[in-house]
Amino acid sequence: MAGVTAVLAAPGPRRLELQTVLCTVVLAAVALCVVFPLLLVALQSLQVAPPGQPARYGLDGWRAALGEPGLRAALLNTLAVTFVRQLISLPLAVLVAWLLARTDLPGRAWIEFAFWAAFFLPPFTVTLSWILLLDPEYGLVNTALARLPFVTSGPFNIYSFWGIVWVHVLTGSLTVKVILLTPAFRNMNAAFEEASRVAGAGTLRTALRITVPVMAPAILSVLLLGTMVSLQTFEVEQVLGLPFRFFVFSTTIYDLLVTRVPRYDAATALAVLILAAMLPLVFAQQWLTRGRRYTTVTGQFQRRVHPLGRWRAPAAVFVMALVVIVLGAPVVFAVLGTFMKLFGFFHVPDPWTLANWQTVLTDDLFLRSLHNTLVLSIGTAVAAIVVHSLIAYIIVRTSYAGRRLLDFVSWLPFTVPGIILGLALLWLFLGVSFLRPLYGTATLLIVAGVIAGMPLGVQIIRSGLLQLGGELEEASRTAGASWWTTYRRIVLRLMAPTLIAVGMITFVGAARNIGNFALLTTSANRPLSILQLDYVAQRKLEEAVVVACIIMLVSLAGALLARLIGLRSGGLG
Amino acid sequence: MPAQPGGGETVLALDRVSKRFGEAAAVDSVSLAIRRGEIFTLLGPSGCGKTTTLRLVAGLEQPDGGEITLRDRVVASAARRLFVAPNRRNLGMVFQSYAVWPHMTVFENVAYPLELRGLPRAAVREKVARVLDLVGLGGTETRPGTLLSGGQMQRLALCRALVYEPDLLLLDEPFSNLDAKLREQMRMEVKLLQRRLGITVLFVTHDQVEALSLSDRIAVMHRGRVEQVGAPRALYEQPASAFVRDFLGQTVVLTGRVTATAAARVGARVTVAMNGPLTGCTLAGRSTSAAPLAPGAAATIAIRPEDIRVAPGDAAGSEPDHLLGTIETLSFVGDRYEARVALGGEHCIVLLLTRTREWREGEGVRLGFPPEMVSVWPA
Repeated sequence: MAGVTAVLAAPGPRRLELQTVLCTVVLAAVALCVVFPLLLVALQSLQVAPPGQPARYGLDGWRAALGEPGLRAALLNTLAVTFVRQLISLPLAVLVAWLLARTDLPGRAWIEFAFWAAFFLPPFTVTLSWILLLDPEYGLVNTALARLPFVTSGPFNIYSFWGIVWVHVLTGSLTVKVILLTPAFRNMNAAFEEASRVAGAGTLRTALRITVPVMAPAILSVLLLGTMVSLQTFEVEQVLGLPFRFFVFSTTIYDLLVTRVPRYDAATALAVLILAAMLPLVFAQQWLTRGRRYTTVTGQFQRRVHPLGRWRAPAAVFVMALVVIVLGAPVVFAVLGTFMKLFGFFHVPDPWTLANWQTVLTDDLFLRSLHNTLVLSIGTAVAAIVVHSLIAYIIVRTSYAGRRLLDFVSWLPFTVPGIILGLALLWLFLGVSFLRPLYGTATLLIVAGVIAGMPLGVQIIRSGLLQLGGELEEASRTAGASWWTTYRRIVLRLMAPTLIAVGMITFVGAARNIGNFALLTTSANRPLSILQLDYVAQRKLEEAVVVACIIMLVSLAGALLARLIGLRSGGLG
Repeated sequence: MPAQPGGGETVLALDRVSKRFGEAAAVDSVSLAIRRGEIFTLLGPSGCGKTTTLRLVAGLEQPDGGEITLRDRVVASAARRLFVAPNRRNLGMVFQSYAVWPHMTVFENVAYPLELRGLPRAAVREKVARVLDLVGLGGTETRPGTLLSGGQMQRLALCRALVYEPDLLLLDEPFSNLDAKLREQMRMEVKLLQRRLGITVLFVTHDQVEALSLSDRIAVMHRGRVEQVGAPRALYEQPASAFVRDFLGQTVVLTGRVTATAAARVGARVTVAMNGPLTGCTLAGRSTSAAPLAPGAAATIAIRPEDIRVAPGDAAGSEPDHLLGTIETLSFVGDRYEARVALGGEHCIVLLLTRTREWREGEGVRLGFPPEMVSVWPA
């Protein structure tokens, strides 16, 4: 017996398991792609020499970021837009989520689904649709209102602070809150509300005094998430803000970099400021959801809904109107826009044409970009499935010492505005010599896409794994399968629907992503999402809207497929 | 070829194995030896560390202390930082939830471990068919595993764990999800199967009836430690601690003071004078303590209710080894009566009475406490 054990003990005192090695490799790779570039950005903000000259360190960039009125205005604009968006969208989202989850609102399953679909509308497409409706001179709503007596000119202007806020509320703020809050409201124990009803409170008073306070942690968490998401987009301000010289931090960074003499120091200093402002939000959000993310609802309690009584019809009309605004109008007008001779001009004689489609579909530029987008999106989806599932698996199932850190790092991209992540990756791929050849290739964009989709992808797969339970895997291990065989033959197979759904979502995300890609593309790897932005910059709105419409249709199809395959919106929370 | 349980070589040995979760010790220095061909049960209330012990054996947890030896091969040793992965231990395990893989058919579920061992296709087919027939699942090969009934899933999980002839079969509360009748049936099936195949089984349960009826030997666990190891009957009749005594079966416990001791050894005859409302009565029993029970020392006497001899009658006066009582409530539960009997006015015990006689509430009874059935514990 001594001989046998001696042989077994031979590897020595340090047991280096394959699993630990693999986990460390994953953690290191994720950290290299997420944390390291951000550190590079921070370092770069102190490097003041113009590109091409030897490095010189100083605080000029910071002085510019804090001192120049343009940059200070951008920071203030960012804060104002973010604050006003949250102020409007949160009460609205809480109301809608409560109506969908806790009342007998007619058609609530369909309405929830509509919000889910609206969540997938590309903000860029939505922006173009609302230009059609709210352009100060030609916008349909404005021209219609101008026909009314006493209205001399169209009252709305999309190219304004409120125009930007309006589009933001509809694209990023409202829908994401509704789809996160509705499952949370639904999973609340009805006994809390019933006790209040029995004690004599009506539906409204119960909602305000019991439901909302009980849900306060969830609502606060969603508010923090929403604030982080607010800072992600860039295309809305880029399209709507530029005409009246309204800059937020992301468009400023873009503006500082995409000029003849890029101001890397000022751009990166601005990025660091925004990241620093994000950190408290990140920690607050993590603290709020600690321990809660792991609880699964067992369904032991009743999920009875409140009758709305005579408010049922008005509530339904209200929510349906919201659906029309967030989903119906953007889709209809994005499609209509593609058939216009002059984008936005409804009053010219015979405004309709098929020429835009013909122009775009035969344009060499379009075909190259379409090819790029397909390579990019499929590559991102496949890579995301592997990477995200590996990360989720390590976090949920192993006892690897660094799994908490991995959890945090995988969550980080959610809090990093897309344009900053793009900037950081640009630095990584230009600054590290063996990565430089990848600049201008699809690989770089795929890396960006996988990182951008990581928080959501890992989250969805993780809840799937938690529902699966550990015994199915342990049974495979005791039956003689190695860790890798178990992962391949049990985990991957059982998780297939979830993984395909994650693949679809990442595919859509990569196809429509602008913020992460704007700084990373060259003419060689330019995808459709950047092409539409370039079209707008060249004032070719007709072409832009055709591309935007294509991206929107792809996004919607992907969202519907992901839903059909069996992803529940609850998986997002 | 039924193996001789209780004899033969040691298949599994745990040597002072410990496992901590944070501050709490889930398993605290547990040493066990499981012999070839026996059904060995870890029994205890929830949270006593029995499942953790099983998972340590399976390799699903790593011990913080001690050593686990499987067939003369050390599979886990904290001191030497040695750990053999679960897939290299050649164990079979049936999980509480059965863990039947939902994406595989019955055949695929059972064939999986054989494929992993690189068996040729024909041999896999033959072995799977044989083991499925053994438990009466023949003919269900192409059905998805999760479309089976609870009992069938249980059998399937058993097949999957047995098909590759593991050195040791681990059962983690496998019957807890079945209804009462099916549970009893599966218990018998497992015992029959074990006797036929001669496999060694390590079984975890919190159900004492299950443990007593199925096991060759039982280790009663409490707060991460092994309280006592022994054959079911020995545990039941000679519990070594108050915890084992009260956890296994029903016990009538009365208190008193020692009046006389025969000798300072386990099993020696001790006489105890009852106190409280039973003052004036004396009972005799076997000492459970190797230390001497000095006259006048407080003591507890314990007896299984079924060992109390119940006779009608309220003859006055006390005779040794007898107490008088009154039937307070009487419930007819089918095969017998369940009676609450008041002793000396306040103390109540629950006894099972045969239905050979018509009992009445309020009737006086004479309760005989045979000294060979009574155990005396230091208080």
